[in-house]
Amino acid sequence: MNLADITLFLPLLAGIALVVWPGLGRAFALVASGGVFVLALAMFLLHPKEGIAYLTQAPLLGPAGIYYAVGLDNAGMFLWLAVTLTVFLGVWMAPAPLRMVGYALMMETGLLGIFASLDLVLFYVFFEFTLIPALLMLGLYGGRERMQALYTFALFTLVGSLPMLAAILAARFLGGAESFLIGDLQNHPLKGVAASWVFLGFFFALAVKTPLFPLHAWLPGFHQQNHPSGLADAMGTLYKVGIFAFFRWAMPIAPEGFQGLQPLLLTLAAFTAIYAAWAAWGAKDWKNLLAYGGISHMGLAAIGLFSGTAEGAVGALFLLGASFIYTGGMFLFVGLLFERTGTMEIGPVRGLAKSAPALAALGMILVMSMIGLPGLAGFPGEFMALLGAYKASPWLTFIAFLSIIAAAAYALTAYQKVFHESENRAVPDLTPREWGFAVGVVAAIALLGLYPKLFTQLLQPLAKAFAALFGGAA
Amino acid sequence: MGWLLLLTILLPLLGFVLLGLFGKRMKEPLPGVIASGLVLASLVLGAVLLAGGGAQWAIPDWLPGIAFSLNLDHLSGLMLLIVTGVGFLIHVYAIGYMHADAGFSRFFAYLNLFIAMMLTLVLADNYVVMFIGWEGVGLASYLLIGFWYQDRVNADSARKAFIVNRIGDLGFLLGMGLLWAMFGTLGISEINAKLEENLFIPAGLGLAAFLLFAGAVGKSAQVPLMVWLPDAMAGPTPVSALIHAATMVTAGVYLLARSSFLYINVPEVSLWIAILGLLTAIYGALSAFGQQDIKRIVAYSTLSQLGFMFVAAGMGAYWIALFHVLTHAFFKALLFMASGSVIHALGGEQDIRKMGGMWRYLPQTRWHALVGALALGGFPLLSGFWSKDAILYSTLFYSVNSSVVFYVLLLATAFLTAMYSMRWFVTVFLGQYRGHEHPHESPKVMLFPNHLLALGAVFIGFIGLPEPFPNLLEGFLAPNLAHLEYEKPSLTLEWTLVLISALVALAGLYLGYRFFQQKVMPTWYARFAQASEHSFYVDQVYNTFLVNPLKSLGSLLFDGDKGLLGGFGWLGTLTAGIGSLLARLETGYIRFYAAGLLIGAVLLLIWGVTR
Repeated sequence: MNLADITLFLPLLAGIALVVWPGLGRAFALVASGGVFVLALAMFLLHPKEGIAYLTQAPLLGPAGIYYAVGLDNAGMFLWLAVTLTVFLGVWMAPAPLRMVGYALMMETGLLGIFASLDLVLFYVFFEFTLIPALLMLGLYGGRERMQALYTFALFTLVGSLPMLAAILAARFLGGAESFLIGDLQNHPLKGVAASWVFLGFFFALAVKTPLFPLHAWLPGFHQQNHPSGLADAMGTLYKVGIFAFFRWAMPIAPEGFQGLQPLLLTLAAFTAIYAAWAAWGAKDWKNLLAYGGISHMGLAAIGLFSGTAEGAVGALFLLGASFIYTGGMFLFVGLLFERTGTMEIGPVRGLAKSAPALAALGMILVMSMIGLPGLAGFPGEFMALLGAYKASPWLTFIAFLSIIAAAAYALTAYQKVFHESENRAVPDLTPREWGFAVGVVAAIALLGLYPKLFTQLLQPLAKAFAALFGGAA
Repeated sequence: MGWLLLLTILLPLLGFVLLGLFGKRMKEPLPGVIASGLVLASLVLGAVLLAGGGAQWAIPDWLPGIAFSLNLDHLSGLMLLIVTGVGFLIHVYAIGYMHADAGFSRFFAYLNLFIAMMLTLVLADNYVVMFIGWEGVGLASYLLIGFWYQDRVNADSARKAFIVNRIGDLGFLLGMGLLWAMFGTLGISEINAKLEENLFIPAGLGLAAFLLFAGAVGKSAQVPLMVWLPDAMAGPTPVSALIHAATMVTAGVYLLARSSFLYINVPEVSLWIAILGLLTAIYGALSAFGQQDIKRIVAYSTLSQLGFMFVAAGMGAYWIALFHVLTHAFFKALLFMASGSVIHALGGEQDIRKMGGMWRYLPQTRWHALVGALALGGFPLLSGFWSKDAILYSTLFYSVNSSVVFYVLLLATAFLTAMYSMRWFVTVFLGQYRGHEHPHESPKVMLFPNHLLALGAVFIGFIGLPEPFPNLLEGFLAPNLAHLEYEKPSLTLEWTLVLISALVALAGLYLGYRFFQQKVMPTWYARFAQASEHSFYVDQVYNTFLVNPLKSLGSLLFDGDKGLLGGFGWLGTLTAGIGSLLARLETGYIRFYAAGLLIGAVLLLIWGVTR
């Protein structure tokens, strides 16, 4: 038992406590989520920055080769920081019912577990466990058509997960590994037809959670129907772990399977990026806009990752972590807008910049980060993904990155219609609590954008090892 | 010492942060003074470093394999001096121009942001760093065009500028992707060094050059991406002077010059640069004739002059392109700010039909306007004359791309330029005043910067004189530009050409002076002017055939995506089935459902591993 285990399960316990006794209050939730972030930050500072740290390994189901194996390499550590910060900001900011905050905390454990699991079965358990609080939040606190959205979400996830479960079992038994531990599995990579089938099995579950076209279809409804505070949406954004799972599990376990499908995967990623960005242009409310915008960004991350290059992998992971913060932050920001205007729609309320300049400035920074402005969090990941993707396919890269033009169109159009043009409603500017949120999210965005080296130099060795699996020069 | 170079960028950036956060609590003119002071500090610091032989600074591996590197050499030094020097004067002018505006401090915050980003752009020694500045100035431009955002037109123009620029930026990004794949680095000096040694001329070089050029086309508003610049005049006048005339729009020219070692190896791409430049020069000049907004005339002349610069770059005459950047920065900033003084004098009026007769009312601004218009028109011995003449010279002698066709067409454009600059001057300053305001001269804080700019517009051309006179600029820039050997013409021929361009300019100026004082225009001209006023309907064509279809497709995709769920027919049926089953359960039981999922998953798992 070490710091990682404590940090991992602390949110679950705090979440359960909060659901059982909401009387513990918001302060409790703040201390819990803040504490988790501080712990993660401390772990990052103490992290040796190479290899796997904070390792705990104990047999869970010994004879079956299933272990409780948790530890953090640089990629896991980076994503832990992004997740714990975003959850903390969400708890800090979102005007959500306390029980719902409890579910969000429970969900945090699932997410942290996904990024820290070093055993494939344990990964699967966390992957599925995370679904429960997500469903609860949607089902209990969602909008009028939440049940429709809930069934869709659950079905996509569960139906996608079944092939993955089969693939997980096959990965070990067909590859001949002694356990489900990552090291064992990687030492027995699959060959031939088995590799293709196993990769395909992973693909369905992970494409749902990346998401990639057409398996993204659950996501807009999920966001549309979730609680307007944006907390559940931010948590849902963090749940888009497909990129990571491809990187950590699917591609290294079945490299041949990936390579066989690579042209198709690149095409799919490129299409997802441009398709979703374009559709976002047609969106009439914030949640849909952010949903499609987020899908588009994950398409860019995916084309970087599927290039099988070190640049692309660094870009994909960086973009994933950064998008947790700015997309999550954007959903929370939209919650602020909803609190003031009572609508998610883009258009009816205009000219907010006049009465709420600080609010408008925060929105501008988030929007600019979202559309990949250099110097902010969105750019380094997108750019490295582009460098990698270009090596794999210039044409598909061109198609995928057409989305940055569409992104400018949809994001700035929406921003203008809410914050600019002649004022028809005055709203209060940022409260002190909201200023706290603004400072936190802007600091993170600026740090990632201005000094990406802090994290890219940590991701680079992992990315090189990853690229070497596919014969890619580092 | 290198960190001092970073400081030139950080100073105005600090101004942006400071004024952005606390500017509202400061009293006018403090924010303006702070902002101007910081730009001046950058100017002094940059000049000192330049005099000391330049400077370098870098964060290695800012991104893996990509350094955040800055390099102050003669080329970036020249741009730094223009950006901070002219920028400083415009800041000072803005203190007067923006007086009593509710967004006074916000305006100066944005201006400082722009300077910081522009310095990042010019000092960059890595294409990625340049791209940071590149999109950064795009942001500043967006914020400033839409400065008076309550007006929908302004907000629309700002958005249009950003989006159109992004089209070019995609080219820039892909160009970097290709350079990275070819060279394994994006360091500008490194790539230049490799190319200069001729060790490595990869096959894809032409494509990379073309892609980067696409970025330049967007930023410098060349055909076909020129549509954003005239609309950008929606911003306050100092913005038009600073961003959309003197500095930002010349970034495309700077990109070509900075990459001259690349372009010198791909004359076929350079030919395209020259052709697009020529088209832009002609299009801008023809469109300037029909404009009725005092600033839009100047804006179209900027388009046209940028075209001149691109022609020079396409010829491989990089120092000449930069020479025109320099002279243009002076006389175009002057023209804009003289226009601003007129607008200021008339209480915000921008329509030249309601002007006229300003010669009587504005005893100082009239000289600024006259100098600016003459320099733009190429009046002999003024700055614009020398740089334009050098461009004409380059179209005849400089490289494989030089040709009489370019010379003749560009000379004709120069003639048109002289004519429309006289139209601008005559309509605004001569004749009778046609409005109902009480024109008054601007305050000193606005006149003083214009005095200095006027001096520059007159004299700066003398640093780039043709032979046999000493040419300071060419020698200064030579170490940082690709060098092209070419056969120089005889002095007689050279000075005959100088004489021809002088005569053409004088003829244009005189004809313009006479022609536009007529009360009634000939019908052929009226018909032409009407098409010109609508900029030959390019915007309408783009909207009809490009923007609107794309927008509709967006809506279609969005609505279609909602239908996608239905496309999962089996899933839909399943959903409905389970839905009707669960419909009887109260929502409270959803927890059980969720728990069921987990139990089911665990059971499956146990079955899987123990079977």
